[in-house]
Parts: sequence; structure tokens; C-alpha cells
Amino acid sequence: MSAFASALPLVSLVTFLPLAGAVLLVFIRGESLKAVRAAALAVSLLTFALSLFLFFGFDGASGLPEFVERASWLGRGLDYHVGVDGLSLFLVLLAAFLTPIALLSSWRAVGDRVKEFSVFMLLLETGMIGVFVSLNLFLFYVFWEAMLIPMYFLIGIWGGPRRVYATMKFVLFTMFGSLLMLVGVFVLHAAHHQATGGYSLAIADLAGLALSPALQTWLFLGFGLAFAIKVPLFPLHTWLPDAHVEAPTAASVLLAAVLLKMGAYGFLRLGLPLFPLAAASFAPALSVLAAVGIVYGGLMALIQKDMKSLVAYSSVSHMGLVMLAVFSLNFEATEGAIYQMLNHGLSTGALFLCVGILYERTHTRKIADHGGAAARMPVFAGIFLVVMLSSAGLPGLNGFAGEILCFFGVFAANKALAAVSVTTVILSAAYLLWLYRRVLLGPLKDPGDPRLRDLDKRELAYLVPIIVLIVFMGLFPGVFLRKLDASVSRYLDAVKTPAAATLGLAPAPERGQTAENRAELER
Amino acid sequence: MGSPLALAPLLAVTAGALAVLLLEAFLRKKDSEAPAALTVAALLTAGFFTVLSWGEPGLGAFGGRLVLDPLARFLIVIFVALGVFVALMGLKYAARMGLALGPFCGLLLLAVAGLMIMVSTGDWLVVFLGLEVLSVSSYALTGLRLRDRTSSEAAAKYFLMGSFAAAFFVFGLALVFGTSGRLELGSGVPGAAALAGLGLIVSALFFKIAVAPFHMWAPDVYEGAPTPVTVFLTIAPKAAGLAVLLRALSPILRAEGAAAVLSPALSAAAVLTMFAGNLAALRQTSLKRLLAYSSIAHSGYLLVAVVARDAAGLVFYAAVYLFMNAGAFGVLIALSGRGFERTSLDDIAGLGRRKPWLAAPLAIFLLSLAGFPPTAGFLAKFYVFGAAVREGHIALTVAAVLASLVSVAYYLKVIVAMYMREGEAEQEPWLEEPALYLVVFLCLFGVVELGLWPGNLLTIIRQALPGFF
Repeated sequence: MSAFASALPLVSLVTFLPLAGAVLLVFIRGESLKAVRAAALAVSLLTFALSLFLFFGFDGASGLPEFVERASWLGRGLDYHVGVDGLSLFLVLLAAFLTPIALLSSWRAVGDRVKEFSVFMLLLETGMIGVFVSLNLFLFYVFWEAMLIPMYFLIGIWGGPRRVYATMKFVLFTMFGSLLMLVGVFVLHAAHHQATGGYSLAIADLAGLALSPALQTWLFLGFGLAFAIKVPLFPLHTWLPDAHVEAPTAASVLLAAVLLKMGAYGFLRLGLPLFPLAAASFAPALSVLAAVGIVYGGLMALIQKDMKSLVAYSSVSHMGLVMLAVFSLNFEATEGAIYQMLNHGLSTGALFLCVGILYERTHTRKIADHGGAAARMPVFAGIFLVVMLSSAGLPGLNGFAGEILCFFGVFAANKALAAVSVTTVILSAAYLLWLYRRVLLGPLKDPGDPRLRDLDKRELAYLVPIIVLIVFMGLFPGVFLRKLDASVSRYLDAVKTPAAATLGLAPAPERGQTAENRAELER
Repeated sequence: MGSPLALAPLLAVTAGALAVLLLEAFLRKKDSEAPAALTVAALLTAGFFTVLSWGEPGLGAFGGRLVLDPLARFLIVIFVALGVFVALMGLKYAARMGLALGPFCGLLLLAVAGLMIMVSTGDWLVVFLGLEVLSVSSYALTGLRLRDRTSSEAAAKYFLMGSFAAAFFVFGLALVFGTSGRLELGSGVPGAAALAGLGLIVSALFFKIAVAPFHMWAPDVYEGAPTPVTVFLTIAPKAAGLAVLLRALSPILRAEGAAAVLSPALSAAAVLTMFAGNLAALRQTSLKRLLAYSSIAHSGYLLVAVVARDAAGLVFYAAVYLFMNAGAFGVLIALSGRGFERTSLDDIAGLGRRKPWLAAPLAIFLLSLAGFPPTAGFLAKFYVFGAAVREGHIALTVAAVLASLVSVAYYLKVIVAMYMREGEAEQEPWLEEPALYLVVFLCLFGVVELGLWPGNLLTIIRQALPGFF
């Protein structure tokens, strides 16, 4: 197993196999929808199978990146450098797991330009995985930006009536943040060159720079804005409901499940470890924004009339909790945040799939147009129930395990915000159960509607794996959390030691010798 | 006399120009493609001689008035490639639009000769010589669609404004020579009169490069000129003018006194240019005019390289811009019909369905112009803006990336038209233009290759231009 794993460039394979598949698809004839769909699904399933080798081969004892591959690319520190550690491993798996599901879910919904659709979905998968596995800041940025292109096309071509507006808003919002981050990349590159005389953009090298507090503040603002828009953190969330409502189901699934995680992942991978002093001083303010997002997203979800925008606002609320946990800067909260990202990916992805299934049958997403569907679709009602309870955090399912860790961690950091954040349990139960009652229970809205048939085999094939995982992750969180422990400890050391040293709480002799560099940078 | 190799590229192009113009007199067949073939041959010969002398640090001729140094060689190679692209693009276009191919090719070669003179000298007077050879040929090229009013109007406008610029240049030259007695590029500016003279010369070059506020002529001229000529005008005079500015200003930018005035002024011009180009492009409904404004914005990005004194970045950006801009205009030419051009956004609505093999390259060129990774346009911006940050111009860089954000909106607007709107179902036939498709393919290859594996070119550039400053 490990011999096999070490013989192959596994991370590169997982990252670029979808890209290779996309190139292949361009050159096969687009007339045979069956062949195109089967080929795309096969490529994404193979990618998922390969990513499982990462999961089983991952040791996690050291907390350092594993499966590392490094090659010179453009020179001057712009290297190809990939690997996975505890922070990124499960996000890679999540992207690889959900892409085939999203592709399978689109088989009926997308009938136009299927080849192009499949190509963009596979390109998106490469972009998403690439962001998570990059250990070089330049490579990270390339994937971060490149991934916008397929999402732009997916929403813009296969989306709803206001798709052009939604997709432009999505791209311009995201790019605004990331272009300022680009300036930060230049500054870091120059700062590293000044401090060491060499060239590097390896994230580990950059974390070793002792940047001046003023410089850290500016850089944190640049990077933080890019990540906060992506999460999205209140009040930068306005692009999200538009993008979600207009996107086709498959794109919504990946947008909610994976793309939003990139923002939180950006804070964990770059924002906090690279600029620990600034992070420490901004954490309280950002925590408050995150807490506001929890309540605001929940309340907005309550009053939505469109099922998709309800789920979109629930994402704002749930990601608020994740961000609050990230900014709490302690062990439980950080593990909870990472675990909760996966849970949110699964349950919100599944919620979008369920909404998509209803939409395919009735061609309306308005809550008021639905009612009593459970009578005709009992299996669907059962699955929807599990998904919904997972999202609401019912004990025994995955959402509970993540939320409880987050709450413990947040409580240790700030009791008032913990009290605010617990409202997410009440709010999400309220808007989800109410949605369930209005859509699935009660008298059948249109008893003669022949379109309300229960799930077919294809739909079961993509929903059941999610349900199994939801239950499994709820019952055995240790299987996953174990792999995180060492990485999270290392991450917290990187974030907290410099801040403590500045405040005079702990001796940090190795930081003393960099005082010269710091003085040089300040000039 | 100096080394004959230093003169060989220039001689090849000039001889080619004369031969093409003479050939015109003896040709029986009106629609012969011989002039284009001769043009390509002359350009490739020039390119061959340039590459042949690659190892030599700097070859001189005419007592050092003409110097073939690494920067000149890079730019000459770019001009040769551009000339070949334009000649191939114009081959069938000339026949369809009623252009005379002989004069088109002859003037093109003369313009390239002017460019070569401009970039391979360290003497203001020789720069002026090259500039005028370039300008006169450009005026004529712009007005080459004789029966088309916009073409003639563009030529007249370009000529009038260009003459003013030439006058500025000469007057500035007189001031510089009169006060300092020197004509070398990069010599210091003692006193206010010389500084004013330098300012006039820089303004004249800004005019050629289309830097705001001297850019007003550019959109009309770029739109009115025959499209292959537009390709030439949006790339070549910019690259040459910026190279001259780089040679002239980088020693001054490094010195303490004059840099305090010059550096903020150049930065302001760069920011103004980027925003003037990008904001105006937002409102365009003609793709040709949109690309014209976009090329003004790119003048601004390129000017950032001058402010940062980054010769390597300038060369790389110019090479990348050659591919992405020529490619985008190449697709535009492939859309034109007999005797008319299809340039409005309505014309390309639904192109993604009608002609996917033209729409996809255009989309990639536009994404590259917008600076999305992993295309070459991203790397070009990355290196130029990165150099600006290294030199401490953080505010300029922030302005530049925000300007790029504005540009994303209109480049994506074109993609929206191609892929997210439905056009008329009418199927125009494919044009039988293998040469044009070859150019588009080469540009596509360049944009992808330089975006993903630019390692070789970067190594060559870094080896050749390390000690430029």
C-alpha cells in the first residue's frame, strides 16, 4: 500500500487527472450524450478512487505535509510544490467525492452543451483540488484564480434567468479580493528576498519570516479580504445568494460544498499562520462579524421564499460558525472548524441536490408552490429528513460532532460570542424544519401532478453515499479527527507563539535573531 | 563602419521593402500573393541575422549610432514575428477588402525598419529618424482602404496628430541639445530647459504609445484602420516607444534629483492610461473599438515596467501581448465578410455555438488579456507588477490591479456575448484562409505555452538582460 503510494506522484495525479479528462473530452464527439456523461463520470470516479489512497496512506503523526512533490517551475521561488496535511486532506477528499455526485446529478438537468458542461466541471475539480494541495503561494494563487473561469462559465451558460448578472457579480467580487491578495504576494516575495537573499514563495518559508507588525497588518488586510469574500463573511456575502439561486444544481453543490471552504482554508493555511500578530489583533473583530453572520444568515433563511436562496443563507450562517471557530484560535475550535467544513460540504451539498430533484420535477423552487410531496415521494422524504437533520446538527449525525467541538472551542475563547453562536442550533432547526413541513408535509398541493414520482436509481446512487457518510461521520468522528490532530497542533503553534512572544508571555529566543531583518523591513 | 552583422537585419528588411515595391510594377496578376511571400522571407532573414548575433554582447555600426544589444535583439525578434503575423493576416484580407497587397507589404516592411532603427540606437536623432520612418508608413497603412471613409478619416487624424507629436519631439530635442550639447539617451538633464525638452520628447513618445492624456486619437485610428494594420499599430509603436523611454529614463530614474519629478509623473500617466482605457472600454459595443481601448490600458501596464526599470518584464510583456492581441484581432478578421468587417458584439452573439473553434481561442485570448492564470497574460502582469512592488511602487501596483479588475468586466462581456447569448442561427461559411488560421493557432500556442512553461524564454531573457541597469 505505502510502497504503491510512494511510487506514484499521487497528489499530482489526483489534481490533474480531471484536467486530462477534460482535454480528452474536448476531442471526443459531443453528439453522444451518453458517452460524454459516462466518460466524465468515469474520470471523476477514478480521481476519487485515487484520492482514497491519499486518505489511507496519510499518516498524520508529524503534522507536516505528506505526499510532497516539489519541482522547479518558473524559477525565482515560483515552484511546483504540492502535498497534503491535516488541514487540506479532507477538503481534497470532499472535492473528489462530490464531483462525481454533482456530475451524476446533472444527467437530466443539463441537456444542452453537455460536453462543454462536463469539461468545465472537470476543470473546476482540478482548480479546487489544486488550491488545497498547493504548498507554494504562487501555485495557490494560480489555482485560486484559474478556478473562477470554469465556475464563471457554469453559472453563466447553464444558470437561471439572471445568470449573467449573477456570474459577473461572482467573478468581480471574488477578483476584487484576490487582486489585492496578489499585491500581497508580491510584497511577501520581496520581503523574503530582502530577509534571506534567496527567492521563495513556499508557504513554510514565508511563515518563517518575522514581518513587522505594520506590514503584517496590511498584508493580513489584503489576504483576509480575499478569503472573507470567498467564505463569505458578513457583510461581504451579497454575491452568494445570487450565484446560488442562478447556478445549475451541480455548480451550486460544488460552490457551497467546496468553494466556500476555500475562504476558511485560506485563513487556516495563509491568513493566520503567515501574519500571526495581525491575526491576533483582528481576531476579535472578525469573530464579531462571524457571529453576526450566524444570526443574520439564520434570520434571512427564515424569510426566504425560494428554496435555493434559503439554503444559500443557511450557508452564510453555518460558515459564520466555522469562521468564529477559526478565529477562536484553540485546539477544539480549530478541529471543529475543519470537521464542520466537511459536514457543511456534505449536508449543504445534499440539500442543494434535494432542492434540485424537486425542481426537476416541478420546475419551481418557490416554497409556496410545493406541499405534501412526501405522500408521493416517501423515499425522497426520508433522505431529505436525514440531510436536513444533519444540517441542523442532530446528535448522532455528522453536524452535531462538528458543532459541539466548535461550541466548546468558542466558549473557551469568548463566552458571549459562544452564547450568540449557539442560536445557530435553534435557527437552523427552525428554518429547516419549517421548510420541510411546508414542502413535504401537509396536503398534496396538486394531487393530479404526474411529475412527482419518487427517486430513481440514478438519484439514489448519488444520494445514498452522502447519507452513509453523514451517519458514519456522526458516529465515528475519531476516524477523521485523529488524522487532524498533529497538523492542527503545528498550525496553532505557528499562529500563537509569535503573538505570545510579542506580548511577553513566553520566551521565544529563536525570534530574537530576526530582529535585524525586521528592522530592515520596517525601513 | 562597424560590424556588418549589426546592420544585416535592417538591410534585409529595407531591401525587402524596396523589392516588394518594385515587384508591384512588374506583376501581371493583380491578386498575386508574391509580395506577402517576399515580405515574410525578408522578415525571416532579418530574424535569422538577429538570432545569429545572439552571443555577442553588443554590435555597433555607424560609429556606435546603431547598436544591436540584447534589448534591441529581443524587440527585433518581436517585430519580426509581428510583421510575419500581420503579413499573413493581410494576405486574404487584402483581397476581400480591396486593399493593394503590394503597397501594404512594402509599407509594413518600411514600418518594421523604422521600429528596428528606433530600438537599436542610443542617440535621440536616430530615434527620431526611426520614428518618422515608422510614422509615415503607419499613416499610409491606416488609410489603405481607399474606398472606406473611416479608414481615410483615421489616416488624416493620425497624420495631423502625429505631425504635432513630431514637432514636439524636434523642439524638445532642440532644447536638450541646446542646453546640454548632448544627444545620448539617458544623459542627465541639467537645468529646467533641458527638463522641459525631455518632457516634450516624452510627450511625443507618449503620443506614439497612446499614453493618456495623449491617447485621444488612438481609438478612432485603431478602429478605422484595416484590422491587420490595427494589430500592427496596437503592438509595435508601443513596444518600440516604451523601449526608447526605458533606455532614456532608467538612468535618470535611478539618479536622485530628477527621479523625484519623473517617477511620480510617469506613475500618474500610467494610472491615468490604465483607467482611461479600461473605463472607456466598458461602454463599447464594437469589439474592435473595445480592443482598441483595451490596448490603451495595456500601454498603461507596460508603462509600469518603465517606472520599475524592468527591461526583462517589458520584453516578456510585449511578447505575450503580441500573441494575445494579435490572436484576438485574428479571430476578428476571420469573422469579416467580403468587403465589410463584423465587429459589433451583436455579430458575435452565440458564436460559441456557431463557430466553437473560433470562439474558444477568442475566449482564451480575452481571458489572457484580462490576466487570468494559467494564461500568459497573467504571468506578464505578474512579472511587471511584481517588479513595481520590488521597486517600492506599492500604490501604483494597487492602482494597476484595480484597473485590471475593471478590465475583467468588459473582457467577460465579450465572452457573455459569445457563450451566454443566442445569436441568429444563420451559418456563415468558413473563410478559406489557412494563413490566418495558422496565425491564430500560433498565437494560441504562444498564450498557453508562455502561461504554463515560459521557463525557456525566461531563462533566455534573464541571461541576456541581467546587467541592463
